[in-house]
Amino acid sequence: MSLLGRAMLPQAFFLPTGSGKRFCLFHPAPGDFVRGCVLYLHPFAEELNCTRRVAAQQARALALAGYCVLQIDLLGCGDSAGHFADATWEAWLQDARLARHWLREHASGPLWLWGMRAGALLATALAKDLSEPCHLLLWQPVVSGQQQQQQFLRLHTASQWLGADRASGQTPSQMLNNGQPADIAGYTLSPALARGLAAARLEPPPCPSGQLVWLELSVQAEPALSPASEKQLAVWRDAGWAVSAQALTGPLFWQTVGTDDAPALVQATLDALAKTPAQAAPP
Amino acid sequence: MSYHEHPLVVTGPKVQDMLGIVSLPAPGAPQKTTGVVIVVGGAQYRVGSHRQFVQLARFLAAAGYPVLRFDFPGMGDSPGDPVPFEDSAPHIATAIDALRGQGTGVGKVVLWGLCDGASASLLYMQARHDPRVAGMVLLNPWVRSDAGLARAQVKHYYRQRLMEPGFWRKLAAGGVGWQALRGLGKNLRAMRQKPPETLTFQELMAHGWKAVEGKIMLILSERDLTAQEFVEHAKTHPAWRGLLSRPGVTQHAVHGADHTFSSSSAQREAEAVVLAWLNDLDR
Repeated sequence: MSLLGRAMLPQAFFLPTGSGKRFCLFHPAPGDFVRGCVLYLHPFAEELNCTRRVAAQQARALALAGYCVLQIDLLGCGDSAGHFADATWEAWLQDARLARHWLREHASGPLWLWGMRAGALLATALAKDLSEPCHLLLWQPVVSGQQQQQQFLRLHTASQWLGADRASGQTPSQMLNNGQPADIAGYTLSPALARGLAAARLEPPPCPSGQLVWLELSVQAEPALSPASEKQLAVWRDAGWAVSAQALTGPLFWQTVGTDDAPALVQATLDALAKTPAQAAPP
Repeated sequence: MSYHEHPLVVTGPKVQDMLGIVSLPAPGAPQKTTGVVIVVGGAQYRVGSHRQFVQLARFLAAAGYPVLRFDFPGMGDSPGDPVPFEDSAPHIATAIDALRGQGTGVGKVVLWGLCDGASASLLYMQARHDPRVAGMVLLNPWVRSDAGLARAQVKHYYRQRLMEPGFWRKLAAGGVGWQALRGLGKNLRAMRQKPPETLTFQELMAHGWKAVEGKIMLILSERDLTAQEFVEHAKTHPAWRGLLSRPGVTQHAVHGADHTFSSSSAQREAEAVVLAWLNDLDR
């Protein structure tokens, strides 16, 4: 493992696993006082690329604010080993477990699981089988894997309109249902991953409940949480989670390749986490 | 596993630290002395759309070639402000230094660039005349200009808009039509723009092309507007006269490919063409 110690760049390393290496970035908090540690779980397919910059900005800002942040590229994603076609939901969950374990060995304080879009689904799934209490930071969470998958399959339809893909006999969902992989927007989605993703739901893990920070972006000048989000949040409150939810004005940067910044989101994240005192962690 | 990867801080006296990944042949496997530096463009980070750069780097490393991919400042995981592709020569120089300084035994390098990464590679040669660069692989080079874009918009968009009855109804009702007309006026002015006194980046690219003493491989996607604009520009602009047919220049068109070679067959074809060309160069 080679750790890179230059200022401002995170420490980059490959974490060995039973099925190849996973690329990781560790942003240690400078100084001795650590407010907590944060595990970042990235979004699905090309959304990982689109969100990389803003995630890096947030990770640096969190580190400066006293948090130790670990980012992991899941199997077949980013710089990690394997092809996207090899990935399964269970393998990703296993990667998330390993990353949490590594983070716990290298940082102390309350644990935050930070998930973006489908990463929020993975974060809640991880929280469900943890033996330690945790808090959740969810950015633009996808409330069901089924929804994420439908959006992804729509990219195939769009590319057919643009004439990029020749129409084959079967639609991607038919192929997946028949146990065949489907090529969509440069990614090969396996039936196993499709099954696992489709079954994933954003459900509050059983006790002990912690803090839930839920942040959404909208291009509206006066953004508001969607009725679907409000409905979700009620479930979390009922399950005993302390919910802090906010809609902010900002670009939908997970949808576009560009250099969009989301300073309101970065600041709101810092503010929300700062409200949770480092010592008030569940025992 | 037929490749080996490690993170690398790409650092130099005149540039901010950048995060890179070096891909090498598996330990013990024979290694070439020609290295490849992937010059990332188009607001991508080192992984590339649908992991195009990751897969290319691993493919070439497995065939013996050391490859470096890196994030320009402000992109992906590198901190700092984004660098326009026209100003990226110091960063490319530093990346070449970094790959050669790795004890990898790399002597000459090949620059591989897609879109404005291809443009940046040519501008690098124009600025530096670097004798360490043995060749270039340029995919769908970016030559867009205000005048060229204005011409394309007038041709494809406004002509069509002016034919639509709805446009004239909106105009009569004081709707958005006026805005469109103002846009048309702006585009017509842009089309008539006199060429600036200083050289345009497209002219500097032509000088860079001439400055390559090694070989150039030009790969064009069949279904890509950027590629078509480049060919049109190179055919009609005086600065480009005769450059595509110079000795040492090879052209390859990938049938059915889009801008980022998103279908797996297009990607495999582009990879195979690059490897065959590299093997010829390295001989």
